[in-house]
Amino acid sequence: MKIAVIADIHSNLEAFRAVLHDLAKESVSAMVNLGDLVGYNASPGECVNLAREHRIISIQGNHDRAAVQPRFAEGFNILAHQAVLWSASALNPEQKSFLDSLPHTLLLWDHYLLFHGAPDNSEAYIFYLFQAKKAFDYMRKKMPGVKIAFFGHTHHRALWRRDVRGKVQSLTVTQGIMAVDPEEMCLINPGSVGQPRERQWEASYLIFTTDPPALEFRSVPYDLRGAQTKIREACLPDYLAERLAKGV
Amino acid sequence: MVHPYEKEAKLKDGSRVLLRPMVAEDREKLMAFFQAIPQEERIYLRHDVTDPEIIKSWTERIDYTRVFPLLALAGDRVVGDATLHRIPYGWKRHIGTVRVVVAADYHDRGLGTLLVHEIVELATEFSLEKLWAELPLTAPGALALFRKAGFSSKAVIEGLVKDLHGRNTDVVIMVCDVGAQYG
Repeated sequence: MKIAVIADIHSNLEAFRAVLHDLAKESVSAMVNLGDLVGYNASPGECVNLAREHRIISIQGNHDRAAVQPRFAEGFNILAHQAVLWSASALNPEQKSFLDSLPHTLLLWDHYLLFHGAPDNSEAYIFYLFQAKKAFDYMRKKMPGVKIAFFGHTHHRALWRRDVRGKVQSLTVTQGIMAVDPEEMCLINPGSVGQPRERQWEASYLIFTTDPPALEFRSVPYDLRGAQTKIREACLPDYLAERLAKGV
Repeated sequence: MVHPYEKEAKLKDGSRVLLRPMVAEDREKLMAFFQAIPQEERIYLRHDVTDPEIIKSWTERIDYTRVFPLLALAGDRVVGDATLHRIPYGWKRHIGTVRVVVAADYHDRGLGTLLVHEIVELATEFSLEKLWAELPLTAPGALALFRKAGFSSKAVIEGLVKDLHGRNTDVVIMVCDVGAQYG
């Protein structure tokens, strides 16, 4: 079975459409979204609608939550704060209700854990070894038997493994298909569709094959100018448009 | 002038300040703010901030990609200024330098910590990995403030700088691992 894994779309309709267009060539059984459909960019409502139309299995990210419950935006930095308040103003009640209904985590088919930032906190990051170890420990304690988890939030593609002896390490993400040892635990981040931060601007996503488990990290170009124009037309901070081109 | 973005925040004593980037129209407010900073604190700054030409040059040449100046305002008055300095190229391109100045009547109210926290949060938006700050060893309050915001002391350079009276003083180098703040 093939699963498309996407994350951090952040209201970038142009990037989201490009990923869906690329996926049309594949026969994926399901699409999963690891949160943050909205925030930062200028098409929050359209992105929510598109996710619903394609029946994408979604969880809630910290920006999704802040867009429907503004008190959670108070801890955001001023850039993210401004953008998420704008997202909130652009969403209709039905779209907000959809975002509000999303779970924080999801155990998919009893095998694959989906979370946004960390398994116990959608605002925490997994960037460093100690953070990956903490996530693996949480999984072993709370959901023994689950070996593979997908997460987002950092906007960086990542693959962490925990081998049978308990050693945790980060593997270099490469082009092409990467095999996953079914005996090991894995934390996988597909990168960001709508605001990649790896100094490359293309929309990132992932194809996961279940049997045998394997990954393929992908990125696709999109209408960058179109996305930037919308940000400027919406009078969102200009830096949000500039950063898309720089991939930061 | 429409401010690019802003956010209200609460201090320890319940009072509120508005956080937003500096804009050109802030010149007079900034001048009043810096002129009220006591001389013993101004010695830590890189420029003579009592010189109107200095403030004029800052407000006329705003480039958020090199220096991001974050102001805290109480009503119409600037009560705090935190700056994030970036180097666009080279081996320090992932490092930002932080400088903070707070009005005397806003000391011990949590404003400095709030501003440094905000800069740490913004650093992730600018794809910075490390933040750097230099503080005098003789300022335990400032050292504690940066520690609370996630910085740790990495080095002490003895007798590096001069104090107001021309005496050599020790400097503490503090660094914050930005990504590690949110585990």
